[in-house]
Amino acid sequence: MIDQFLLGLSVVMQPQILMYAFIGVFIGQLIGVLPGIGAITAISLLLPVTFYLDATTSMIILAGIYYGSQYGGSIASILLNLPGTPSSVVTCLEGYPLSQDNRAGLALFVAAFSSFVGGMIGVAILVLAAIPMTLIALRFGAPEYAMLVILGLLAASLIGTGSQLRSFAMVVLGIALGLVGADQTTGYYRFVAMPELADGISLVSLAMGLFGVSEIIRNAANKRPSGPALSIRMRDVIPTRKQARSLVFPILRGSGFGSFFGALPGTGAAIASFMAYAMEKRFSRTPEKFGTGHLPGLAAPESANNAAAQTGFIPTLTLGIPGDAVMALIIGALILNGIIPGPRLMVDQPELFWGVIASFFVGNIILLLINVPLIRLWVLLLRIPYQKLYPVIIVMICVGVYSHRTSVTDVVLTLAFGVLGYLMKNYRFEPAPVLLGFVLGPLLEDNFRRAMLIYRGDFTIFLTRPISAILVTCSVALVVFAIWSSISARRKTVRPPS
Amino acid sequence: MQGTEQDQPSIAKRSVSGGVLLAIGLIMLAVAWEYPVGRLTQMGPGFIPRVIGFAICAMAIAIIVSDVMAPALPQARKIQWRGLVFVSAGILIFAAFVDVVGLVPSMFLAVAVSMFADDDARPLNVLIYASLATLGGWLLFLVALELPIPAFWR
Repeated sequence: MIDQFLLGLSVVMQPQILMYAFIGVFIGQLIGVLPGIGAITAISLLLPVTFYLDATTSMIILAGIYYGSQYGGSIASILLNLPGTPSSVVTCLEGYPLSQDNRAGLALFVAAFSSFVGGMIGVAILVLAAIPMTLIALRFGAPEYAMLVILGLLAASLIGTGSQLRSFAMVVLGIALGLVGADQTTGYYRFVAMPELADGISLVSLAMGLFGVSEIIRNAANKRPSGPALSIRMRDVIPTRKQARSLVFPILRGSGFGSFFGALPGTGAAIASFMAYAMEKRFSRTPEKFGTGHLPGLAAPESANNAAAQTGFIPTLTLGIPGDAVMALIIGALILNGIIPGPRLMVDQPELFWGVIASFFVGNIILLLINVPLIRLWVLLLRIPYQKLYPVIIVMICVGVYSHRTSVTDVVLTLAFGVLGYLMKNYRFEPAPVLLGFVLGPLLEDNFRRAMLIYRGDFTIFLTRPISAILVTCSVALVVFAIWSSISARRKTVRPPS
Repeated sequence: MQGTEQDQPSIAKRSVSGGVLLAIGLIMLAVAWEYPVGRLTQMGPGFIPRVIGFAICAMAIAIIVSDVMAPALPQARKIQWRGLVFVSAGILIFAAFVDVVGLVPSMFLAVAVSMFADDDARPLNVLIYASLATLGGWLLFLVALELPIPAFWR
């Protein structure tokens, strides 16, 4: 394990790869700071560019954008009360009051440091889990893959905020969109309304439409406050000894929750940060302080989302099963580079596998180093009005989608998905489950069909094979828990408060 | 399904999103009905589409029921027509022109048109900003990344 990690480090320490790692985390931090552009938009914008790079470098850049955006996301939350990324929504709750209290510097430092510790713990768990998980994954057959995908899709729609029914409907809609094109097994054309769809709907079009274009439509006419003129003295940035001591356990708990929810397929950094905040409030001896700029309430979710951003790569790299929408895009990038993610990845391409993991280690150090010292630059970025930003994003989306397959149809489809995503959100449907269903759907169909073929339509194999049985048990437990918690939540709202 | 939904305008309005989903599911079933289904042990290309189509219809009905029954449903947000129209127009113009007049003019048009999604847009500002953005796009896509797209129609 140590040897492999050192192998990875030797890959990353090549100057050229180190430069790409830096570019990745820098772009990630930058787009994380800007509200209205998330990691999904940025990664889909850069997907076409990665065709010109080798697989290792593209993975390092795209992954860097993802976990870099987790650092950047907290900055807009703290300074403007506007979450830069979905996973920094809870950061607003404690971060913004601190900033109104003229303690923005302290809040930014605590957020960056918690992010760093969370990220590092996540990387450590990833390194520890990689080999055992791959050994388990190598024993996965078609029934296990089918069940794991089902568990992931259930987790994506049942855990977290929003209506579970609506999320699940969106997962199924995503699976339906994934059916378009030639059937993998028989080559039969399904739902091919025009010849351009024969290869299926492009992942880039779907992601850029649902997340990029729809956000632009929503925000183009909205005025948002521009960044404050901020002067931070380094003296106010460092927490006192007493404050630092009060943060040790929140950060560790947050990292633990984050690592768990990150590694679970179907849940990602956003859910991890919500869970960590809720649990921290429950653990706290002073829950009444939450919401008023309480530092542990800031540290726990920030460490959680960064830990989750790293452990999210456990199912992605070892099983080839993406945990959330961003991971789905990263898997898509690997496949476009001609690499099939799965347990063979570690065995066949150790340099890629461990190089990418080691780049997380290096990337987190770079992020800590560029976060607080460059705070003036990030504040300056926040002063760019969105009205100047969105036309440029539109052009980048258009050119990115068009150059991907030199297809005008893809550009029009992107717009169609953009309008769909915009209308969906107006009616309280979340777009992220659509993307997850789209990527996981073909995997589910392929493995389910194969399992039924091999085991002659015998459904009991899902229960008699041990790993599959565990996955079925987890799925059932998840459904039971979801039903139980929704019933108990309903009871609470019906009863008058005592 | 239409009759019961439109008895009262409020109920019709509430069931709009579920209704659209139901329509998607029904269209999907109608299109996929002639695909060969096969057997459970030897599934044809039509097996999963049919399952998914039924699943979408079932969930759409559940969503309609829950939306209509819910006592205090948050209202659907208002549609921002200006943003919707100008952003769509910008992207469609890009799509229509990029194969005809090349990348540089279509980038210019896409920026210029989409900038009018903001009500404060003034023609002169738009002209200047769109020119600058096009220059930046030309430097990024054609000079730095060397994308194989013609800059101008030859």
